[in-house]
Amino acid sequence: MVYYLIVCRSLTYAQRTAAVLERAGITGVILRTPRAIAGEGCGYAVKVSERRLAQALVLLNKAELRPRGVYIAESNGGYRQVGL
Amino acid sequence: MIYLDSAATTLQKPPSVVRASAYAITHMASPGRGGYPAAMTAAETLFTCREAAARLFHVPEPDQVVFTMNATHGLNLAIKTLVEPGDTVLISGYEHNAVTRPLTATPDVTVKVADAPLFQPEAMLERFGALLTPEVSCVICCHVSNVFGYILPVAGIAALCRERGVPLILDASQSAGALPVHMDTLQAAFIAMPGHKGLYGPQGTGILLCAAPVKPLLEGGTGSHSVRQEMPEFLPDRLEAGTHNVPGIAGLLEGLRFVLRKGPERILDHERRLAAQCAAGLSRMKGVTVFSSPHLEHQAGVLSFQVDGQDCEEVGDRLGRQGIAVRSGLHCAPLSHRTAGTLERGTVRASFSAFNSSNDVRALLQALERRRPS
Repeated sequence: MVYYLIVCRSLTYAQRTAAVLERAGITGVILRTPRAIAGEGCGYAVKVSERRLAQALVLLNKAELRPRGVYIAESNGGYRQVGL
Repeated sequence: MIYLDSAATTLQKPPSVVRASAYAITHMASPGRGGYPAAMTAAETLFTCREAAARLFHVPEPDQVVFTMNATHGLNLAIKTLVEPGDTVLISGYEHNAVTRPLTATPDVTVKVADAPLFQPEAMLERFGALLTPEVSCVICCHVSNVFGYILPVAGIAALCRERGVPLILDASQSAGALPVHMDTLQAAFIAMPGHKGLYGPQGTGILLCAAPVKPLLEGGTGSHSVRQEMPEFLPDRLEAGTHNVPGIAGLLEGLRFVLRKGPERILDHERRLAAQCAAGLSRMKGVTVFSSPHLEHQAGVLSFQVDGQDCEEVGDRLGRQGIAVRSGLHCAPLSHRTAGTLERGTVRASFSAFNSSNDVRALLQALERRRPS
């Protein structure tokens, strides 16, 4: 299944992000940001399905939650940033 | 033991607090340091606790809720952020050493003290209005005096600060969990509180509500932005270096849930009734001076008294030997005693929680009667 990672600046920010999604019935799983895309170091991301990504981003925008980046998980195990 | 020292720490906790702390010790690892279940359960507990505090104290976002060791830690963070050497600060005459000592430790600070008599909020507000002059860069005020239970007119003081554009630091040590402490209404820069008093959490917990940029007291690992050698700019990470007190916070969450379930108004009402019952009983005793307000709304569940011809420490000691726990002396608040005129003798303080009953008050009164010289 194709999924996206919404990379957040901190664990609490990821928790707020997941909470906003959950209130709208979108499953957002919090996980450690893969080192390859973590940028300045350790961090957390919220994993969402491809089907719910667009709605998720609209909700986050409304809640004024700004992700550090959104990445698609590629079949080769890598991650590619997607433009917002 | 009859415990009447909740202004220091609430000793009787909801059973869920004890269970949650014990569970956390063996089931929760370091939040923000791993993605495995024990770390994520800890992270979830912290976030749920931040959300519960944000709901109780009307804080817009949970990341403005910062965990501290106690109220003193929170006050130090706030004071060392807002007060620079050479500044002028305005405080009430009922502040604790947790406020006055950090101010004394900051070089060349001028401290103006608004010192109106006990239980006269209008006079206190007037003093604040007169002393809040343009050179004042920060106002610090307790919500409730830890010695006398006197409720200061913080809504009015906060309004003055907003009008004059001066940041306010509120010490909610004796009010959090009983009185309305609303960040959105007061618009204070910082509100500090302990977790182990009216929020019924374990000792070693506290909360600082932040509405202004803040300087850290500690630097270290936060589990975020690890490559950078400066502390993150964002909350709560900026102020939470090192491993959290997870068992404490797990217990604090249950304490907050207890307060939210019961309702701060009901808790305050209960504690006030006990304080009023105690004040009435004490005032009927000859040779006992009671510091209480005739207006119920000016006092929370904390009460001070003196017994003529008896040292307050002796009174406290005798009560302790009869199984009644009260606090005697200056209560780490010499300024408060100076303002009220009790610095020389100190007072005996009885303070109440949701777990006290009128039987506890009767036991205190009977013990005092027994020990009075004939």
